[in-house]
Amino acid sequence: MSFREKSAWVMAAVMVLTGLYYGKLALAAPDAPAGATLVPYVVVVVVLSVVVQIVLAVANPKEADAPADERERAIIARAGNWSGIALGAGVISAAIGFTAHGNGTLFFHLVIGALIASQVLEYLFQIVLYRRGV
Amino acid sequence: MARRPPITNRVRELREANGQLSQAALGEAVGVTRQTIIAIEQGRYSPSLETSFRIARRFGVGVEDVFGWEDE
Repeated sequence: MSFREKSAWVMAAVMVLTGLYYGKLALAAPDAPAGATLVPYVVVVVVLSVVVQIVLAVANPKEADAPADERERAIIARAGNWSGIALGAGVISAAIGFTAHGNGTLFFHLVIGALIASQVLEYLFQIVLYRRGV
Repeated sequence: MARRPPITNRVRELREANGQLSQAALGEAVGVTRQTIIAIEQGRYSPSLETSFRIARRFGVGVEDVFGWEDE
């Protein structure tokens, strides 16, 4: 398994776990200011991402230093394109929901949720393309 | 399963004919990862024209000696 595929697996796991954490925070205090949920989430995502990337780089120093090759760049671009479509669909759905319920906090959480889900999908698309071919 | 490109190649055969050149060594020589060489050999990835030329030049042959169209 290539370094970038390992990285995609690990980052998908990080985004799923931290997404669940965000959901737990949002459900525990649904009326709290949106920042009270977002700030701790961002801190956890950044810290966890940095830690796992350092661990991966230490375990695979040569591959970590190498730039992505043409196949990896194509995979990353295609996965990013697909996840962007998913993000757009999520945000549009949240906006349509907002016109119905008018709840700004819920709209905020749904948009952040769409962002998290699109990130998870981006890593999953990468894994699929690494395995299936591009 | 993704549709495989109708391109055949003799990369594995040429590696073996060139002193059992490893996939990693070939990848390093042409600027791609070992996994990309594996994907090329398995027909899961069609390399760019530049990489195709680099592979052919590494073996000292023409591009058409390495890559072909499936119905040829």
